Amino acid sequence: MWQKHKCSSVVPGLLVVALLAACTQDAMNPDRGTAGKPSFKKETGGGCPVKKFTGGGRIDPTNPNTNADFEDGASGFAALTGKVTFGFNVFLDNQCNVMKSEIQVVHHPSKTRWHVSVHGGVSDFGETVQATTFPSLSGRGWCIIVGPVTARVNGQQGQELVAMEACDNGEPGSQRPGLSSVGPDSFKWATQGHGDTDLTYLTGGNIQAH
Amino acid sequence: MKVMKMPWVNGLAAFGLVVAVTGGFAAVGSAQSISGQAYGAYVNTPVASFAQSPLAVLPYITGTDGDIATAQADALNVGGALSSDFLNSTTTGELGTADAGSQSTATVADINILNGLITATEVIANVVSTRTASGAWSNANGSSFEGLTVAGVPVTSGDGWVAPNTQMSLPGVGYVVLNEQIPSGDGVTSSGLTVNMIHVYLQSLTGGGCTVLGCLPGTLTDTGEIIVGSATSSVGP
Repeated sequence: MWQKHKCSSVVPGLLVVALLAACTQDAMNPDRGTAGKPSFKKETGGGCPVKKFTGGGRIDPTNPNTNADFEDGASGFAALTGKVTFGFNVFLDNQCNVMKSEIQVVHHPSKTRWHVSVHGGVSDFGETVQATTFPSLSGRGWCIIVGPVTARVNGQQGQELVAMEACDNGEPGSQRPGLSSVGPDSFKWATQGHGDTDLTYLTGGNIQAH
Repeated sequence: MKVMKMPWVNGLAAFGLVVAVTGGFAAVGSAQSISGQAYGAYVNTPVASFAQSPLAVLPYITGTDGDIATAQADALNVGGALSSDFLNSTTTGELGTADAGSQSTATVADINILNGLITATEVIANVVSTRTASGAWSNANGSSFEGLTVAGVPVTSGDGWVAPNTQMSLPGVGYVVLNEQIPSGDGVTSSGLTVNMIHVYLQSLTGGGCTVLGCLPGTLTDTGEIIVGSATSSVGP
């Protein structure tokens, strides 16, 4: 089930809520277009300060989420819990339209694999996809929100609306050996049917805004 | 939660396709300043062989750019050497103006090696290499074993971490190295790391024996290997 997100008085926090909520049937501010294709209106003006994000690694969200990145707006609640691994590459134009992207996320407890592919500004499902980049609420780096966009689920077996948030808060993105989820980089995966991971510190891996 | 099942992927066919697609990338990969690859399993024994699969190799990157490669298989079975399923390999990398990085992840579920000699519910191999103005480093944070048993001995309960390069004997077979970590680079301008979560070294005793003059010990000879969950990342000048 989709989780309610706590509202924040800071604009990027509101953006997170608004953009991810666009995946739900009760979206707060969706513009789904005439063909039912998911899209949303960007809620802030200005350019797109960071246009390339790349990352990969692992998060371990819990509920309540003891690995949450509260400093960057995590809610503290995750419906999609357990081991999650991911890799992504996102390129934006000056208006923060996603021009090229591949996103792969695997939820291991349910053996569910999502894959998003955008080329030439259009997803595999014919969608134009928007993103938002902004300084992280914690002031440690930069964050990106991508979507909503339709992902393939377990190859050609299904599809689902998803959205991604990633924050690059320093190098390396996971700084403690073993299985400690201390980041400082964080990642969130939100889906229409499986819930979301909350914005969770990386257990391993790295995210880079470049 | 509804889990969607994919049709069985013929392992040999999948391997052939992956090699055909990625072989060219691997050939030029050594010349770039970042590289990465991940694969689920590799088998080379006297009775069964299977190349690295599913294999994801980071494409060649120039300028300030980034890229990603993924590969997956629903299941992989190699005779009596290995059975596994839900294999996922991902590698990503980026060259920025101030820093560069590469990160790779390989995951394998429901592992059974050598007819139950080693079993695990899941392994995750996760490595990252980063270079900034202050230096270069790599780590394998987030690598783990779930429900690992070696020769009937439980090693991890639930999802657990095993110290790097933990070696366990497999009597009559050889030995296994768990969380095998192979570093590279100088730590200043370059750094790399390969982690093999399960690396079985098969050995056999050759030579030796006794005569009227006494007994000579035999020599242990490597006869093969099995790797499950391998991820590599590196950054360089």
